[in-house]
Amino acid sequence: MRLAIADDSALFRNGLILLLEASGAQVTAQVSAGTELIACIQADPPDAVILDLRMPPTFTGEGISTAAQIRSRDADIGILVLSTFAETSYASQLLDAVGHGVGYLLKDNVTDADNLISQLDRIVSGETVIDPSIVRRLLQRKRRASRIDALNPRERDVLGRMAEGRSNVGIAQDLYLSPRTVEAHVTNVFAKLGLDQTDTDNNRIRAVLTFLRSAKE
Amino acid sequence: MVRHPAGDLARPARDGSPRWRGGVRLLRPWRFYLLAGAILAGLGCLDTVAELPELQQTPALGVVNLGASLTFILTGLLLLRERGQRGVAWALILAGTLRSLDFVDAWNTGPWPVYAVVFGAADRVFGAWALLRYPWPRLSRPQRIYLIALTSWMLTGRVMVVVTSTARSTGYSASSWWPSLLPDPGLNKLIDLILSCGEGIFAITLIAFFVMRLLETKGLDRIVIAPIMAAGLAAVVAASGTAVAQLFSSISTGPTGAYLVEGLVDVTVPLAFLVAVIQRALLARNLAELSAKIAIGADLGSVRYALRETLHDPTLEVLELPGSGSPASADGEARRRGGGPDAGVALVPAPADSRLVEVIRTDAGLPIAVVIADAALARYRGLFDAAVRTSGLALKNAQLQAQSARAELDHVRASRARIIEAGLAERRRLERDLHDGAQQHLLGLAARLTAAMAHTADPEATAAFRQARIELGEVLAKLRDLAHGIHPATLSQGGLSAALEEVAERLPLAIDLSIPPDRAAPGVEAAAYFVACEALSNAVKHANASSVTVTVRIGESRLELEIADDGIGGADPAGSGLANIVDRVSALDGETSIDSPPGSGTRILVRIPCA
Repeated sequence: MRLAIADDSALFRNGLILLLEASGAQVTAQVSAGTELIACIQADPPDAVILDLRMPPTFTGEGISTAAQIRSRDADIGILVLSTFAETSYASQLLDAVGHGVGYLLKDNVTDADNLISQLDRIVSGETVIDPSIVRRLLQRKRRASRIDALNPRERDVLGRMAEGRSNVGIAQDLYLSPRTVEAHVTNVFAKLGLDQTDTDNNRIRAVLTFLRSAKE
Repeated sequence: MVRHPAGDLARPARDGSPRWRGGVRLLRPWRFYLLAGAILAGLGCLDTVAELPELQQTPALGVVNLGASLTFILTGLLLLRERGQRGVAWALILAGTLRSLDFVDAWNTGPWPVYAVVFGAADRVFGAWALLRYPWPRLSRPQRIYLIALTSWMLTGRVMVVVTSTARSTGYSASSWWPSLLPDPGLNKLIDLILSCGEGIFAITLIAFFVMRLLETKGLDRIVIAPIMAAGLAAVVAASGTAVAQLFSSISTGPTGAYLVEGLVDVTVPLAFLVAVIQRALLARNLAELSAKIAIGADLGSVRYALRETLHDPTLEVLELPGSGSPASADGEARRRGGGPDAGVALVPAPADSRLVEVIRTDAGLPIAVVIADAALARYRGLFDAAVRTSGLALKNAQLQAQSARAELDHVRASRARIIEAGLAERRRLERDLHDGAQQHLLGLAARLTAAMAHTADPEATAAFRQARIELGEVLAKLRDLAHGIHPATLSQGGLSAALEEVAERLPLAIDLSIPPDRAAPGVEAAAYFVACEALSNAVKHANASSVTVTVRIGESRLELEIADDGIGGADPAGSGLANIVDRVSALDGETSIDSPPGSGTRILVRIPCA
């Protein structure tokens, strides 16, 4: 897998590159700001980009705006935003801006090399990946009223796994269910969240977005 | 600009040039006293000569008469120096002089007995005039008519008595000159009776005048004239007693005892005038009290109260002039009303014509307030002016103090805002340093550790790496908590909405957030964030709440934050949590209202100005 990296911390960048290369990935470019990343990948498009949420010049949400620009130029490239902030608002902003083939992971959790590579694979294949610790917290959170309330506990588990980027087969393995049962749960989740039954791919993203936004409702 | 009922009491013009009509007042003190001494000596000699036979025949009466005369003259002379009382002064001097001349008939020769009979009551006319006049600028019309009638009655009556009698019939020696045109004892007796009855009526009328004056006057006037009216009453009663006694005695000898009593009573009249003069002088002592009263707190109310007390005028009013704080508005207002230099007065509701008005000004001549008082106080101009000046000073001081206090407060507020701002900036810098420095460094280290693990197959080394990575993860979590505690990065990056969502995610209760994505000033956001966190933590820890709503409204001028829970209520506003909220909000000049009835949840509403 060919990857381009943008992170203003050279120390973290170098560590990450070591880790990725040890896992067999190839790093085609490493830069410290979003604008440089856009210039690099135009010349040599990678399979996916990994970028920091907070970068120069303002150290606020540069990662998200850079991701949006990249997606507008290239519909297929995988985009992984790394952050130290476990907030749903950044994740949902990112999903809003980018749509598919995107991931929001916490830097603390990328040190598991195998897991990182498999998440990058899912992103490259167009899926949406949200850090499991964010999903876990969202599932635990009590809320007053939300469309998520309509889901039963099993359906909520399925939605959480969808948010983490698992396929139906993966979810079936995680929850010790048959793939057909998972499929039935997924259909129920879409129906209860009021999503179109036919457009399965986009529905997964919309379901995850609804899930993330339930934090706000 | 002063409105007072009469020009006679014209006070000095503003430029300070005196406008007394009395030339005496312009004399230097030693010259005045020299002149007064000469007059006293001259008139004293005149009276002594007139009283010489009386002094020999009835020494007691002579001495009393002379004493009364001299007291009158002396009082008159002293009154000459009182503003506007020159007429009264001369009246007293004349009354005193004439009083002893009445007893010139004791010479019992030449025209003196006739003079004494005809002009014997002249001193009373002048005395009545002085009593009615003091300290007013002029007599009222009824009073003038009364005095003219009295004078006419006395002169006519007494002339009639003289022409219908002879020196012998009246008991005087034949050497006296007597114009006996129509000697008729019967007629004489009748005329004497009518004359006496008339005098009785005049005496009663005069008493009525005195009583009316006492009832009509109030305030300082009453304090001053009360002794004079009392002495006047006594004198009239004594004179009436003498008149009754005279009916039963011959004119020439007269009722010595009654004369003696009357003489003693008469002395109280000039003494009362002296008391009045002293009283007026003593009023200045009130000024010291005034200063003491308004020194404590010179707001308009206390100045009004102090002036009313000092000047004995319960109708006195002190009004603040609109816009007196800002020079431009006061001037503008005055010009708009078409006023001259004293146009400040035009701003005040027009007082009744007979009110005394004085404007208090700043040193720059700008009107601060206006004093409206009873016109009678024009007679106590010195006292009034001094009192107004004292109040003016107090009001000016108060104004200055308020101005400097305001400036100081502004200064403190500004510096407090700077300190808060600087503290906030420092915390944000610290948080960023931790996040972008140490945290990224450690994260890179964790990645390196993981990468290194790929290069070893040794199970012990792998286990050691794994352990190191777990511990590194714990260090990172602690570091993140520390950075978040110093300043939540989400707050600077995503504003209140993002930061409070993050807080809500971590709390184990249902939280409804209604927060616009709009941003406010960093200090305001930080305070609102702090308040929300404190309130949410209270809802979890103390209120036993199951749900909370957090509402934020961000306007142009202020941020409003409302946190309402469904907990047990009854929160203690003095408790550290709520006290911290109040402190934090008031540090930004905001306001906090806490509503926490027991059993009905807690509602905290905070308003922070966004300046």
